[in-house]
Amino acid sequence: MEFSHIFWTVLAWMIFWAVVGSFVTRRVYLHRDLDTSSAAFVGSMLGAATGPFGLAPLWMNTPEITRRLMVLPALGAVMVIAAAFAFADPSNNCVSNGSFVASQIVNGLILGIIYGFMALGLTLIFSILGVVSFAHGEFYMIGGMVTYFVTTVWFPGINPIVGILAACLVTFVLGALFERMFLTPMYEGKIERPVEYGILVTFGLAFTLQYFIQATVGANPVKAKRFVDFPRIRLPSVEDPWLIKTSRGNMELFDTVSISNPRFMAAVACVLVLLSLLYFLHRTWTGKALRAVSLDREAAAIAGINPDRMNMLAFALGGMIAALAGAMLVQAFSWLPQVGAIPAMRSFVIVVLGGLGSLPGAFLGGIIVGLVESAGTGCVPDAQKAASYIPAYGMMVLTLTLLLRPTGLFGRRFSGGAHGKL
Amino acid sequence: MKSWRISVVGLAAATAISAISFSGTAAVAASCPIKIGGLAPLSAPGAVGGGEAMRDAMLFAERDINAGGGVLGCDVKVIIADTEGLPEKASAIMEKLITQDGVVAVGGAYHSSVGVAAKDVSNARGIPTVFAETWNDTITGDKQKYIFRIAPLSSWASATLWQAALLVPNVKKVAILTENTDYGIPAAEETTKGLKSGGVEAVTFGIDIGTQDYSGIVERIKAENPDYIIVLATGEAGYNFAQQAADAGIGPQDLPFQAGQVALESKAWWENVPDGNMAFVQRIGTPVNLWNEKALKLNKDYKAKTGKGAIESYALEAYDSITILAQAIIEAKSTDGDKIVTALENISFEGTLGRIYFPYGTQKDPSVDGKGDEWWHQWPDPALTMIQYQKEGQDSTESPIVWPDAYKTGPAIYVKK
Repeated sequence: MEFSHIFWTVLAWMIFWAVVGSFVTRRVYLHRDLDTSSAAFVGSMLGAATGPFGLAPLWMNTPEITRRLMVLPALGAVMVIAAAFAFADPSNNCVSNGSFVASQIVNGLILGIIYGFMALGLTLIFSILGVVSFAHGEFYMIGGMVTYFVTTVWFPGINPIVGILAACLVTFVLGALFERMFLTPMYEGKIERPVEYGILVTFGLAFTLQYFIQATVGANPVKAKRFVDFPRIRLPSVEDPWLIKTSRGNMELFDTVSISNPRFMAAVACVLVLLSLLYFLHRTWTGKALRAVSLDREAAAIAGINPDRMNMLAFALGGMIAALAGAMLVQAFSWLPQVGAIPAMRSFVIVVLGGLGSLPGAFLGGIIVGLVESAGTGCVPDAQKAASYIPAYGMMVLTLTLLLRPTGLFGRRFSGGAHGKL
Repeated sequence: MKSWRISVVGLAAATAISAISFSGTAAVAASCPIKIGGLAPLSAPGAVGGGEAMRDAMLFAERDINAGGGVLGCDVKVIIADTEGLPEKASAIMEKLITQDGVVAVGGAYHSSVGVAAKDVSNARGIPTVFAETWNDTITGDKQKYIFRIAPLSSWASATLWQAALLVPNVKKVAILTENTDYGIPAAEETTKGLKSGGVEAVTFGIDIGTQDYSGIVERIKAENPDYIIVLATGEAGYNFAQQAADAGIGPQDLPFQAGQVALESKAWWENVPDGNMAFVQRIGTPVNLWNEKALKLNKDYKAKTGKGAIESYALEAYDSITILAQAIIEAKSTDGDKIVTALENISFEGTLGRIYFPYGTQKDPSVDGKGDEWWHQWPDPALTMIQYQKEGQDSTESPIVWPDAYKTGPAIYVKK
């Protein structure tokens, strides 16, 4: 960084006014008997983005806190940091190389979509069962393993959709069986500490699955063949394909952004399945029943919904979503019995960031984490450290969010025993 | 009366001291079976594939030692311990091997960070340890009495990397992808220093060993426009990066590319990196055509057991780390740590890697020959070669050795950017 003092000075100024904004805004809103749930967040973001120039009118007028009032200062703060960075390190690729920036944004989006999708399953389980599944990463791993064995070992050349469907089926059944056998005692009052029991029993499942696969399949990395090759496309012309150029394994847009085939396919599949899931939850009776249980189990039961059955469905569906992510990514990454550990950890971060139990929050949280990781990897000046800090970038966003908005982006306060909302 | 009491107390004290002494030197007398510890990463985040290869090789060592009559009239039992590739686990597992399992010596180990952490425990406990695949210079550089190594030194192995890189036509800039571990960081620093001495710029990118997605870092490397890429990453990280780089147009078929050592596992390499042809890979140990009877036999058994194309160099090292300890115990005629150290310092052992010996130690300091401290208890002769995959699906043992000239079996093919 050529002029690091610029960056650090601006950052110190932002932090100072963010802290002042956070404390004072909350007190001002409290003093005037207004809703303070998001006051600290708005105050800190406005303070970071504008300093005293934005905070003074906020404290004087104390407007109602709308979503716009939350989003705009947050974007403003990000832009001020970006501007300070640009002045401090003008030769950085993130400042001087437009195609590099475009590539990193696309990478971040694709990564974020996949992260968000993986986290959806976890949040679905939590919102219905109130259980944080520590076996989520293992469902992801099993999804990839089943797809690999079906498409590469047992039936080479078979349509990959068969492998993906097999992965979905296996994990759905596994999830349903596990829920019936091990989680039902929680709802029947047989367990004194159901939350701790849920954590421990899913931990147990995680270890069992991981070491079962290691014992039976081995620990050498495996990988499925690319499911489909891109068709050869050169647009607008073969001589000058500036718009789009594809090879079997890669797509290049605008001569700048390159996207590998497996990641593109995975992201597209994740978006399609997300839309299907939203349709299922909002347009079908079963989906509405799931949402009803997530809002109020007792009321749902009075309305004729069997909450226990919904628990089973939610756990099986949540595991299947993770498995589907694994099934799509086994063609992109080397697959091992331990491959699920890092994605699972990231899913926990995303779910808390987005708000426990919120599907839109999980998806948006995934995209935010994907973009932040991509920005960190691409822009941190020290190349030796940029990628080493990948896990830390998401944690920093999470910490900041929890400090300012403990319920996460889309979460709500839970009363005892209540769950999230879909 | 008083003198009688003094005598009784003295006798009791002497008995107690004798008892303590005997229990303290219990390891000296051989109690069957003689236990030797074998360190290997068998769980994530360690390189589990490498760990399993080492475990299999160490168990073959146990089989062969016992088939040859055992040690001091006893069978040898190799107790495999999972380090998970983590230094904190390594210290704990070394402590357990010594205090609970009662091992008299320890072999194996894959990750440098494991070696760095575990050596202090075994040295403090007086248990001779021969590290198999830990490269970090400080492992022997601390000149600890009970610590030996048959893997190459990091600084020395790095010289292979940069010397081979300097041979690449028109090379001006090299991108190094390294894991941020006790193996990767010093190796990258040494390689950068060597490249600089040859007038070549190097940019280093650090990664965590568990990283799966390299899209961001690949774009960053692309933006540097390197003429050569060197990967210093163990485990599946080496596969993931190589294929993702290939997808993005900076793989082994797009520019000269030196893959991590995991590329030596040919079957896994071609499955995980289908676009990995033309990759260069550093290999430890003599070329297959120079393998001795021991190595050929082990390779045959290993292939039959694992179904792999050939035994990996770190599996050979793991095998030798156990067999040389057994030989040292035989020569020491004891399981006493000090006697085993003396035997190791004087040993000349024909292992699968060649003749293993340790010229520097308590009897001769490395400084006598103007060598650095890292040569203490260090085998000086492991062969280091650079091979290149030149046909898709090729086995690493059949790939041509392109460097150094002493072992060269074919010319390098440098793909044009």
